[in-house]
Amino acid sequence: MKTFNLPDLGEGLQEAEIVSWHVKEGDVVKVDQPLLSVETAKAVVDVPSPWSGKIAKLHGKAGDIIPTHSALVDFDIEGGAAAPASAKKEDAAAQKAAPDSKKSTPIAEDSGTVVGNVPTSNAVVAETAIIRKKQKLEPQRVKALPSVRIKAKEMGVDLAGIPPTGKNDTVTLDDLRNAAGGGNRGGSAPSAPAARWDVPAKRTDVKYGVAEPLRGPRRAMHASMTKSRSEVAECTLFDDADIHNWMPGQDITVRIVRAIVAGCRAEPELNAWYDGEKLERTIHERIDLAMAVDTPDGLIVPILRRVESKNAQQLRDDLNRIKEATRNRSVAPADMKDPTITLSNFGMMAGRYATPVVVPPQVAILGTGGLRYDVVPVMGGIEVHKRIPLSITFDHRCITGGTACRWLAAVIKDLEKAQ
Amino acid sequence: MAKVTMVEAITMAMAHEMERDPSVVVLGEDVGLNGGVFRATQGLQQRFGKDRVMDTPLAEALIAGISIGMAAQGMKPVAEIQFSGFIYPTVDQMINHAGRLRTRTRGRLHVPMVLRAPSGGGIHAPEHHSESNEAMFAHMPGIRTVMPSSPSRAYGLLLAAIRDPDPVVFLEPTRLYRLNKAEVEDDGKALPLDTCFVLREGEDVTLVSWGAMVHETLQAAAKLGEEGVSCDVIDLATVAPIDFDTILESVEKTGRLVIIHEAPRNCGVGAEIAATVAEKAIYSLKAPIGRVTGYDIPMPLFKLEHDYMPSVDRVVKGIRKVLEA
Repeated sequence: MKTFNLPDLGEGLQEAEIVSWHVKEGDVVKVDQPLLSVETAKAVVDVPSPWSGKIAKLHGKAGDIIPTHSALVDFDIEGGAAAPASAKKEDAAAQKAAPDSKKSTPIAEDSGTVVGNVPTSNAVVAETAIIRKKQKLEPQRVKALPSVRIKAKEMGVDLAGIPPTGKNDTVTLDDLRNAAGGGNRGGSAPSAPAARWDVPAKRTDVKYGVAEPLRGPRRAMHASMTKSRSEVAECTLFDDADIHNWMPGQDITVRIVRAIVAGCRAEPELNAWYDGEKLERTIHERIDLAMAVDTPDGLIVPILRRVESKNAQQLRDDLNRIKEATRNRSVAPADMKDPTITLSNFGMMAGRYATPVVVPPQVAILGTGGLRYDVVPVMGGIEVHKRIPLSITFDHRCITGGTACRWLAAVIKDLEKAQ
Repeated sequence: MAKVTMVEAITMAMAHEMERDPSVVVLGEDVGLNGGVFRATQGLQQRFGKDRVMDTPLAEALIAGISIGMAAQGMKPVAEIQFSGFIYPTVDQMINHAGRLRTRTRGRLHVPMVLRAPSGGGIHAPEHHSESNEAMFAHMPGIRTVMPSSPSRAYGLLLAAIRDPDPVVFLEPTRLYRLNKAEVEDDGKALPLDTCFVLREGEDVTLVSWGAMVHETLQAAAKLGEEGVSCDVIDLATVAPIDFDTILESVEKTGRLVIIHEAPRNCGVGAEIAATVAEKAIYSLKAPIGRVTGYDIPMPLFKLEHDYMPSVDRVVKGIRKVLEA
């Protein structure tokens, strides 16, 4: 017993309606003998038999709708010799059926096409289609070239109030300038007065729109930042140090350096190098503090050596020296080599907190924002205190959050001392 | 009043005109016994006989050629091309003869013929069955090109096309043939050619479309209408010559123009509209003119045809771009 399924009669049709059977159960049929007529969305077509054999069962009667690929006819094949894969035969049958479709007789109800699928619905639409009477509109709308409109938009001027002097009553650029300059020759004031709007002039020292290769320190920055991004698991902690109690004459940068020393004394793990490949950490006793300095050429990071062993005056001298060296680009490569921790003191320009980026093999970088006056609660009241915003980024691969918090607490504690 | 689909309205117009005017004849492949591949000529042969509804050989150049000959001698042939992709063999006849016989003979002969063809995509048809080639005909002097977008305009414009003393290429959006129905009275009243139809009135932006894309355009206008943007929607209807009065008047009112067509962008009819508006109404434009069109590639096979044809979203996006400029 073999079952012949309704083949796809072309164009991916989903179903077909049985018009009439040409055979009945018990008939013996030959290959290609028409089995039945079906009506598809295309037309009425005859479906030929894929096999020779005896009809065992017909699935469906005239008028039934049969989905494509569902059972159509059961055959008793003589000798039980399985005919070749039925799918192939079905396709062949479909191929045979399809070209006949054009020859078939006209049909009353069809989809109205021999190809494809014309979308059909009985929805009734109502529409209004107006033929406009040609009439000259009164010139109430502003006429102006697009360039004038753009200029007016830039200047914040409403064109509607400007008396046009151009051809065809257009508002010209001169009209716009006169109106914006207050020179209303017509006497009628613009409906919206031009607001003063000072846009800063563009920088003349910048090459716009040209791709330029990165050079020098910027190239180095590219390398170190890329390395950091690909290796370090960064985590940043924010807090503030309240310096309300400072004695007069404190050197802010020097105090910050001392506070870092205090932090590293409490939690030396942040003053360290980490080798992520070997999974080795080296904690340093010496504190060689890299100072990120912004220059016109890019970021330069000279080092204050052995800051843990120096007093305030020595630190100030060192700071002045590296500042000078940085300014005239005379920092020796050796003076930028092998820092153990970094300070980025960005706050003198703008910015409160940041997420500074750790440069491996270092494991920590402290960012200090601008000093500012904050409203702080004190003993149930309110006072205004000067505070330093602090942001410490650490490599979470080798430093725990707890360690970083304790380090920052030690820094704050030292910074908040009166002197 | 009968509720009819666009294809039924087309049949109705031909039947009306054949009844009224014995010089009207219908010819084409399968238009007689079969009633046309899209059933546009269904029943006409039974009603008017084989002399007036003629099945032709599969030869489009012949269909156009004998139509021109009959027209020049006083008949009014309405020829059907099965699909717009098969219309190209007629081009020689149309451009070299239909479009210029009046000029060539100083008005002694003219060609009152109609060349009907389905047009555009969206019905999942095979290759060559889905093209929008109205710009090609629009570029031919001496020939009118008309594309209806509703059953009532199909009826009224086809009547006008048959009655017109000069050749009209009448491109019928296949996708709209049975998309919906409308009440169309078989009163024999023609609509004017060379005239735009305003389908929705608005103040903020002018939308110009024709054929099947009118439907996406109206849906886009309705969508933007919900956001308070009012669109002046114009159905071009006669693609050539264009009724620029209606378009210019609307652009002078709105200051913004978006043209929507299914055909490829390059040298499409939208380009002609944009150029003329730039020439004649640039002082009224508040923003660059926008176009939402098919792409400059052969119409893809049917799996991708809806990526090719501008969708409502694409139309809305195109309008927003012009509104925000």
